[in-house]
Amino acid sequence: MSLTVNRRHFLSLAAAGASLPLTSRIAFGQTSPFTMQAAWINDAEFAGYFLAIDRGYYADEALDLTYLSGGPDVIPESTLVAGRADLALTTPDTTIKAITDQGAPFKIVGAQYQKNPIGIVSLASNPITSPQDLVGKTLAVPPVNVISVEAMLAINGIERSAVNIVPYAYDPTPLIQGEIDASLDFTTNVPYTIAQAGAEATSFLLYDFGFTIYNDTVVVTQEALAEKRDQIVAFLRASRRGWEENFADPDYVPSIADTWFAGTGRSIENEVYFNQAQQPLMETPNGIFSMSEEDIEANIEAMAAVGITATREMFDTTLLEEI
Amino acid sequence: MATDRMPGWVRGLLYTLALLVLWEGVGQLRLVAGGALPPPTAIALRLFADWADYPNHILATIQGASIGFVIGNAIALAAGVLFVLFPVTSRVARGLNVAIYALPPIAISPILVLTLSGMAPRVVLAAIGCYFVTMTATVVGLSQTDARAVDVVKAYGGSKWAVLRLVQWRSALPSILSGLRIAAPNAVLGAILAEFGGGGRWGLGVYLLGSLGRGEPDRLWGIGLMATAIAAFAYLAFAVAANAITGTTQAVTVPSSVAKAADRDRPVWQNATIAAASVALPFGVWMLLIWALGVPAMLAKSPAGLFEYLFLMPNSPVAQERLLAALAQTLPMTLIGMVAGLAMALGLALASQIYPAIVRAFMPIALVTQTMPLVALTPLLVLMLGRGYSLILWVTISVTFFPAFVTMAQGLILVPRAALEVPRAYGAGILTQLRLVSLPASLPYLFAATRLTVPRALLGVMIAEWLATGTGLGNLLNQSRGYLDYGMIWTVAVVSVLISVAFYQIVVVVEHRVLDRLGMASTN
Repeated sequence: MSLTVNRRHFLSLAAAGASLPLTSRIAFGQTSPFTMQAAWINDAEFAGYFLAIDRGYYADEALDLTYLSGGPDVIPESTLVAGRADLALTTPDTTIKAITDQGAPFKIVGAQYQKNPIGIVSLASNPITSPQDLVGKTLAVPPVNVISVEAMLAINGIERSAVNIVPYAYDPTPLIQGEIDASLDFTTNVPYTIAQAGAEATSFLLYDFGFTIYNDTVVVTQEALAEKRDQIVAFLRASRRGWEENFADPDYVPSIADTWFAGTGRSIENEVYFNQAQQPLMETPNGIFSMSEEDIEANIEAMAAVGITATREMFDTTLLEEI
Repeated sequence: MATDRMPGWVRGLLYTLALLVLWEGVGQLRLVAGGALPPPTAIALRLFADWADYPNHILATIQGASIGFVIGNAIALAAGVLFVLFPVTSRVARGLNVAIYALPPIAISPILVLTLSGMAPRVVLAAIGCYFVTMTATVVGLSQTDARAVDVVKAYGGSKWAVLRLVQWRSALPSILSGLRIAAPNAVLGAILAEFGGGGRWGLGVYLLGSLGRGEPDRLWGIGLMATAIAAFAYLAFAVAANAITGTTQAVTVPSSVAKAADRDRPVWQNATIAAASVALPFGVWMLLIWALGVPAMLAKSPAGLFEYLFLMPNSPVAQERLLAALAQTLPMTLIGMVAGLAMALGLALASQIYPAIVRAFMPIALVTQTMPLVALTPLLVLMLGRGYSLILWVTISVTFFPAFVTMAQGLILVPRAALEVPRAYGAGILTQLRLVSLPASLPYLFAATRLTVPRALLGVMIAEWLATGTGLGNLLNQSRGYLDYGMIWTVAVVSVLISVAFYQIVVVVEHRVLDRLGMASTN
């Protein structure tokens, strides 16, 4: 019984993916294929894109969107370089390091999170509420994020060697059991899991302690910018519409439990928590994805703390103006 | 006593049941790691509750694994036939074969994900898991044909092909099927590993990843045991097929090397050319693949690109320094882990002679350690062992001991009865028999086990570094991914293969010296 239900969901999802471009082709005569690479597995972090796909907003913009899920070994920038995606959601410090160190031809054309949701999560019973509290403690960090933690420590004048940094494999059990004192994770996500496990979490954002960077920056190659500018603008417009409607419609995230979130192993309550928690980190008076001059400047300064030389030219705000 | 009359397998089953009951008690009372080891009933209930999630994930895993299985084995069979028909090709391909065998999956998985897309990384990793085992089984099977039957075909004017078709193929079938039996679970494990890193929505590896953040060990164990069940099912399916087709059950061997072609009568310059070709071939294949895939040079490093990265760039000294620092942490642990894994395997193999029932009861647990994705066990391991040397050591032992144990146990079983009769007639106990006869007689298998262990020891250390300790090559690989340092990702992959191959060759040389002096033949 459950097997048939699941297969039906799976098939309907596949059918939804296949039929979307079809309907828009009928409506508009022609659509352009366009591929985006997400930064992680399907969770509420990407709800706005799911909504825009489900409700045909990309089709309205004559985009035939292919959505690629991410994962721990998926480096979104690599998908761009390999030419398998037109646009990727990335971590800005990684992207800028790739530009400066490897000469990667990237441009940042928008920012999903105005404030990076990455923070230090600890238990309320052993609270770590500021960078200073980390001294002498064991902090678990996903190896790909070590650079962000090093920046935050440097900005706050703490020696790197004063904190015992160990790898974090996205499982909060060692934190709940006290084997580690804190972990680096999305503050929009883990506190819920910890509450489910019967403990109480406390957290602070790296952003609030000087590491003022965006996250899920929208990145394209310069080549794509030259050849597909209209489509990138169309993507930003449809995605902004999707995100705005997602925040206006709290029923949307629960409604995709059996389609986009099917089989991810996470509970739908977790996604609802995530979606609510991320709203203040994303919304800005200028509209989702916008990048103000002050914030870009703050990004550049924060990255300078770990020796990453970002420049204003790496950010292109002109597409946002065309939305 | 009644138990004396029980068949061995019944007693083994009883011990296994006793272990399950013990596990249940320990889990219920949360004795281990504050409950990070869930009791079997909790795992089963959780599996039942989550069941709706499973079918799509299982199907995706089986799909990736079976495509890889078919492709990997087709190549392996073709290569095996080629190596037997034209022995010189076997020597030229030797470097490539050892390199494929020694590839540490965690080092090449990021590279596969970089250069391929969709299902391809899963298929490739599954195929790689099959190739060496099946190729070796094919070569061994085809070479061990009854010479008299070959003579009959030749006497009637039969060609090489006729011999292959009429004689060798039939006699090789049991060996090939036993190779496929081991290849099948390898394919499943390869597919899951690639799923874990490769993106995509379905597959047990993807499911495990989504579940990690929930901090629910019973779910993780359920997924891991499901992976184990699929691998075990794949193994059994081929065991049954082998039984039906050949009517014989061969002892399961883990083939560990390619049969050697006669090379004594060849001039030195020819041998040197072949050896050089054997070293050059893996590099040639590497460059060919990069060219064929058309991946940009920034992502896919050629040998020249890697040399440039390591020696000619302004950042090269920094890269070298980081690499050497990582090696200084990883290499000593690899050697220690290798020795510990071999000691564990030898201890178990000896115990299987002295206390066969207990060892048999231990086997299900041993099998689970081979197929449980280690990432699911990380919280349990760090809670029990911390994040230091003991964790690295235990992970390395668990990754290395099993194939070595199987090989050594087989060596001990194959000791000629007549040789054992001598000490027995003089009243020697089992320990004396082992010391005087069994151990020396099974020396070739001990070396074969060592060869098997070497690349796996490096893999074990890198996994532990990557998951828990944040040191050495494993961590360097992981951090390089975060820094988009493609040169370093390739460097770590290539260096880890080179180390594995080098260790492997050292064992081969020592093995030949020792066995030559003792007048024994290698298991080659």
